[in-house]
Amino acid sequence: MKYRCNICGYLYDDSRQEVPFNELPDSWTCPLCMASKSQFTLLEEKKEEKPAEPVSIDEDAFELSAGQLSALFSNLARGAEKQYIPAAQKEFTVLSEWFLKAAQDNSPASIEDLAEYLSNDINKGYKDIDSIATADSDRGALRVNVWGDKVTRMLSNLLERYQSEGEDFLLNTEVWVCTACGFIYPGDEPPQICPVCKVQDWKFEKQERRKA
Amino acid sequence: MKSYAVRNLRLCTKDCLCLYVCPTGATDTEDSIIDVDKCTGCGVCAESCPSGAITMMPLQLPPQQHKTEKVTAVLNLMSQSKAEQEKAALQIAKETEKDGLYRLMMAFARSNRIMAEDLLREAGYMLPQSSNAQDLLKSLIDNPPSPDFPVESAKKLLELIPCNDCR
Repeated sequence: MKYRCNICGYLYDDSRQEVPFNELPDSWTCPLCMASKSQFTLLEEKKEEKPAEPVSIDEDAFELSAGQLSALFSNLARGAEKQYIPAAQKEFTVLSEWFLKAAQDNSPASIEDLAEYLSNDINKGYKDIDSIATADSDRGALRVNVWGDKVTRMLSNLLERYQSEGEDFLLNTEVWVCTACGFIYPGDEPPQICPVCKVQDWKFEKQERRKA
Repeated sequence: MKSYAVRNLRLCTKDCLCLYVCPTGATDTEDSIIDVDKCTGCGVCAESCPSGAITMMPLQLPPQQHKTEKVTAVLNLMSQSKAEQEKAALQIAKETEKDGLYRLMMAFARSNRIMAEDLLREAGYMLPQSSNAQDLLKSLIDNPPSPDFPVESAKKLLELIPCNDCR
């Protein structure tokens, strides 16, 4: 039997391994991307999903919040940086930081809130993007859907592990973020290439500890 | 002039052939960034670079591929979810005293920011030069969201960046 990792596509083929997949301990993780065993799908069993329900569009979707505008302008700052227009990069950053501040409302937030967002993104949001981008043949939207869906599954997986293992999960482990796609990797060193977007390891950044 | 030269320092192996071939000295800079004002766009530096570190960037960028309203709407809904998650992760990080949770939440905030940026790019804000970006700046100048909004920055950006797809 063959099993594939939902996040990075790593293939576990029982005929090539000493231990059959089913007998691996629950603590076993994907050797490429560190996703949990639960993120693997049995290949033979994977059947076509039924077509998604038609998506209705809310008018509110066209209004951008302060948080979105902050990301929109930090993205344009990045664009200006790549085009070597440092003066524009600086002004876009001013706008991005202003909106980031405007977005903060100190409203209470919990791990459970995050888990709910993640589950909604995985079970509805990305499926909606997939069906609409496929219908409208939008290659760019399909690409962002593939990366985002995988990264979001990894985030959900990491959150579940933190919830069950607590601080032990990250006790002697570094946390790395891929600055190209947002993939998060727990490990001493970053992976050689990003399991999701395949960018090289130097594009990963280590999450530093809180400054004393 | 149709393009200008940019150098990727990650690839540059300091063979310095670009200095040798450049007719204007645009590649001979202290900070290793090619001097865009001196560059004539002739492309000989890119052709002679043995490590493939120089790219010719088009001066006039083509418009972004057309986005349907539906695609824009679903991508916007997702970037809004990512923005909310960024906010929640920052809040949790701010309040916790646990090192593991702090690092995980800061990484979550970063990851959500990167995903939101990517979604907004695909929703029509790929280029600073696009009419979408310029219209947004204009609307913020006309109707600032609050009195302390940095209108001057938005005005400066309109002066700095020409539109690539305005009629």
